[in-house]
Amino acid sequence: MRWLASIILSSLWATSVFALHEAEAGVVDWHKALIGVPQVDSISTAPTFEMRPGRPPTEGLLLTATGSNVLAALHAGNGSVAWRYIYEPADNIVYYQRHQEVVTSLSGPGGATLRTFDFTTGHLLSEKRLHHPQTGLLLEPNDLGVSIASTPDTPDLFILTSAHILRRVDRSGKTKWTWTSPDQTSLVVYTKLIATDSTIYVVGLAKSFSSYTLHIAAVSTTTGELLSSAHIPSSIGGGSSDIITLAAQTDQSLPPRVAWLEGGSIHSIPLVPQLNEKPASSKGATYEKIIDVGLHKKGYFVALQSDGSSRVFRQDVEKSGLKVTWEFADSAKSDRNTESFYIGGVDKDDRPYVGRVFWSLSLMKGSAHVYAPKLADGKGLVSGFTFSFDTNTHGIISHAALHPAYVKDLDVLPYLALTTSTGAVQMWQGDRLQWSREEGLTRIQVAEMVELPEPQSTASHTGEESFVERLARQLQDTRDFPQYLVHFVKRFTTGSYASASSRAAPIDPDASTPLSRDPFGFRKVIVATTDLGKVYGIDSSNGEILWSRVFGLGWAAQIGGQVIPVKLFVTRTVPDGGEPQVVVVTQRRAENSLVDTVLFHIDALTGEDAMGASLPGDVLQGHDIISGPLISAHLLPGDHKTVVLLDEFRQVYLYPNDPSNVKAFTKAVPKLNVPLRTGTAGQRQLTGHQFALGAGIENRAQAYSTWAASFAPSEEILSIVPRPDGPVASLGKVIGSRATLYKYLNPHMFAVLTSAPKACNIYVVDGAKGSIIYHALLPAAHGTCDIHATFVENWLVYVYWDEEYQGVGQAKGRRVVSVELYEGNAPDEKIKSSELSSYSNKSLEVTAYAKSFVLSHGITAITATSTKYGITSKDIIVANDNGQIQSFPRTMLNPRRPKNKPTTEEQEEWLFQYDPIIPDDTRRVLSHNYQASLCPLIGFVHALSSPLQVANVKQIVTSPALLESTSLVFAYGLDLFFTRVAPSSTFDVLSENFNKVQLVFTIVGLAVAIMFTKPMVRKKRLRERWYQ
Amino acid sequence: MSLSLDYASLDHSKWRNLPPPLGFASLSSSKTPSKSAAAATESYEALKEKRAWDFAIAPAKSLPMQGFMLYMSGGGVQIFSMGIVAMLLLTPFKNLAAINPAFAQFAPGSTTSSKASSLTTLALPKLVYLACNVATLALGLWKCRAMGLLPTGTGDWLAFESRGPAPEMSLF
Repeated sequence: MRWLASIILSSLWATSVFALHEAEAGVVDWHKALIGVPQVDSISTAPTFEMRPGRPPTEGLLLTATGSNVLAALHAGNGSVAWRYIYEPADNIVYYQRHQEVVTSLSGPGGATLRTFDFTTGHLLSEKRLHHPQTGLLLEPNDLGVSIASTPDTPDLFILTSAHILRRVDRSGKTKWTWTSPDQTSLVVYTKLIATDSTIYVVGLAKSFSSYTLHIAAVSTTTGELLSSAHIPSSIGGGSSDIITLAAQTDQSLPPRVAWLEGGSIHSIPLVPQLNEKPASSKGATYEKIIDVGLHKKGYFVALQSDGSSRVFRQDVEKSGLKVTWEFADSAKSDRNTESFYIGGVDKDDRPYVGRVFWSLSLMKGSAHVYAPKLADGKGLVSGFTFSFDTNTHGIISHAALHPAYVKDLDVLPYLALTTSTGAVQMWQGDRLQWSREEGLTRIQVAEMVELPEPQSTASHTGEESFVERLARQLQDTRDFPQYLVHFVKRFTTGSYASASSRAAPIDPDASTPLSRDPFGFRKVIVATTDLGKVYGIDSSNGEILWSRVFGLGWAAQIGGQVIPVKLFVTRTVPDGGEPQVVVVTQRRAENSLVDTVLFHIDALTGEDAMGASLPGDVLQGHDIISGPLISAHLLPGDHKTVVLLDEFRQVYLYPNDPSNVKAFTKAVPKLNVPLRTGTAGQRQLTGHQFALGAGIENRAQAYSTWAASFAPSEEILSIVPRPDGPVASLGKVIGSRATLYKYLNPHMFAVLTSAPKACNIYVVDGAKGSIIYHALLPAAHGTCDIHATFVENWLVYVYWDEEYQGVGQAKGRRVVSVELYEGNAPDEKIKSSELSSYSNKSLEVTAYAKSFVLSHGITAITATSTKYGITSKDIIVANDNGQIQSFPRTMLNPRRPKNKPTTEEQEEWLFQYDPIIPDDTRRVLSHNYQASLCPLIGFVHALSSPLQVANVKQIVTSPALLESTSLVFAYGLDLFFTRVAPSSTFDVLSENFNKVQLVFTIVGLAVAIMFTKPMVRKKRLRERWYQ
Repeated sequence: MSLSLDYASLDHSKWRNLPPPLGFASLSSSKTPSKSAAAATESYEALKEKRAWDFAIAPAKSLPMQGFMLYMSGGGVQIFSMGIVAMLLLTPFKNLAAINPAFAQFAPGSTTSSKASSLTTLALPKLVYLACNVATLALGLWKCRAMGLLPTGTGDWLAFESRGPAPEMSLF
């Protein structure tokens, strides 16, 4: 029966089935698995080197928790992802630690969930909820009150969560005992753990009048009983960052110790189970800060002195318990150096090292010092080196992780893993860059695909020349003619042409030749900007980064700030002539909370500044166009593409501000309408605006409101879904009776998603007069609106979660609703909506056909394909929460599908019976790596899929190729994924299996046959005449 | 040397004066009444007119047959049904183009005179003939419509429709 079903199913979808073949995977698509920008704010989530015993450092892993909520391990040798685990958005990682072969992580509020992973493979070994996320104690920062400790002789872990619960957990995640702080109502917040074989010390802070007091509890490791607890008389100003726990596990004679900063001096106390020791304090110097470098198990930490130098401390047998072993000079920020930061590391023999990394302003290079206390016969050794970190491309160093590889005595080979402010992760071996990952690409805010120019023909001639010269040159060129002819014939007979599934990237990428497109325009440059202040040019054919630039901060460079891209406009395309250019509209938030609007005008092929203000290789200099925030940015289409910006007083700023652009804007002003979201957050209203010339300051044009949408006051506008301005090939839909349903193509309409307290709404609004064309009330799931919508031509598709089920036969589930808008009330009624004035009474004569379907997965992004002329039918591309990119054909989502068996007329329209369930067909998954195998019995191609996870897709961008049949799809979020789809199959290219050899042979054979038979026929004719 | 036989050069004076055989009545020698000759001519004219009418309604006679063939050929656009439809659509025009020569043989009087091939001769049968051909044509068109080949719906003209730019412009 199954084969019968498959025959029926495949014949049903035969017209539109698109399945990726194995040979095409990796050729037409690419996927970049990213991990996110490492979370470097806290030592409990920042990158660390984790080595495997007995292996070289290049086979180690770089562990990190990232801002995209991923726990990941990178191969230290080449920077590829060894494994990663993606956490749910609400379940943020707060702590991770490697102990032997297990990586343990705590996530959620107060460390609600415990997960253990295999260190090498990343397999999830156990997952256990320690407490309900809602009962977790929310502290700031969120790793406060969460800690993991371990002892070398047991695989069990001691886990502190919610600042007052301590557990001993074995490898399988089972709790052996739990100790809960008896006075959790008091103000003691436990933050740190020190584990010894018999006792575990829980170190916390108790709030007193003006500062914190140290509080320590000693708990038995075997039974979980409280042995003793004590308030240590102390006065700690800075909270938990001023405490350092020290437990030199290698030296059993030293008791563990807690050190803290109190009033400029460092105090410490040794810990014994009875907690009856007295604190000691260091004398002499004044300290400003103590820094945990991750070497507490070796008993090291660093303290900054007030004079700008810093000292390395070690746990010692001396009376004070601490000993200064080294002093680094010039640690503070000066005119030669930036402020240093300190890191610790251990080599393969477990020797500790303390490193210091800073940016040398005098050398314009990164600089690192590594202090090895155990080398040089225990006297200590410092080695320093500089590395040519490219600050113009990667911003500033925000974190470094150190692994010192011991080569021989007096020789240390340091490995540094840097995290930069633009989101790059780099591995340096001494002064040599090993690899670099652009994790900033997980933070793409806006992206656009820009068409590339044609390859330049080689025989180009420039300049003036006389007739004789030209003749001589052309004669010269003629010499190559025979060669050309031979080449042409050869290519004509044997050559293969580009097919729709061929690789778009050039075979021999040559850096000297300018970027050019492939024959079908599959190769484009994806211009993507991140909120880490960087813009990338990505080759769409293979995902390589062609260029990247860092946005300059302008005047805010002195005080620091952030450049957040808002919109990206392609202001010049290849058909316009010249190099394609883009304008990035950004908001610059300086540290002093001033917000400016800055434009960056970039050449899309090279990343060079099109305004010419910045040097190549330097940071990009922006154009400060509005000294204040921006309300909205638009692109005025036409010959003079102009960026129209509105400031908070709704005044108009134009870019470029040339007379021709100003003229074009002035000419367009009487007919321009701009719908804007105005008002403060929570009370946003949708208002339509028109422009008055010269109404603002400095004779600027100013927008004035003309209408306001009549939404309920409690409704909050979630998002606006505009309709892409693509070409519409057909003005209507011819139905079976050969009448026409004219598409409602009002150029002013757009969709608005709003959330009211108990419901969500989707509206289609006319942007010129504010009237509502279509409205649907959707249920709000748990009071939140999770609606995704896309709007193309006259077709609106939205997906929501429906949890209302009142009647019989109702069920909760994800619904996708497909709505088509047609002119008039019946077929053949037309109002010419695309050229009708919005103020006409007829403009609201519209009929909406809608059908709802059940979707099996939730989605994170939705869009429709776009093609050059809009002839090809449109597919809906969605990214589902299963990590797949799927396509749904329009025929399936047609709202006019009949509920009964289709009549002849409906069959002529290719309508088939309505079925509420959209089958989860793996052939529509674009992101799968398919392995096609022919089943001999049935003759069908079975698809065996190996899943490829495209995680946490935030947005999908589609762009037309030069082939009408094909649309390019780029998905970004955590991962990057690119593919191309042909919704109506590649009707405009010869198929792959077209036999050119056969054709050529047939033609040649026929020609030969004619050659032979022609004289024969002539002879025969002549003979016939004779005997007539 | 010519290969054809030259009978003209035979000398038949020898047999020309032979008496007729017994019982042979020479026509030329018998007397024919003029009245019967006139009747024969008249009946010949009547026959011609009858044949003209027959010819005029011939297309109508084949209509049931053609209708049956159309019914059998089905509604799909195939080579067979297209052939029949093309025949149905073209034959009437071909017939009407050759209406005068076709009816000239049935013209009263001499069939070779110029009057025989004029339009007004046999006007009534010609009108009927026209009507029958129009009926054939109508059958063909009906079939075309049934097959959806006639551009009667708005959908057939949709590709020629165009829209200008809207008077207002919205920026998003």
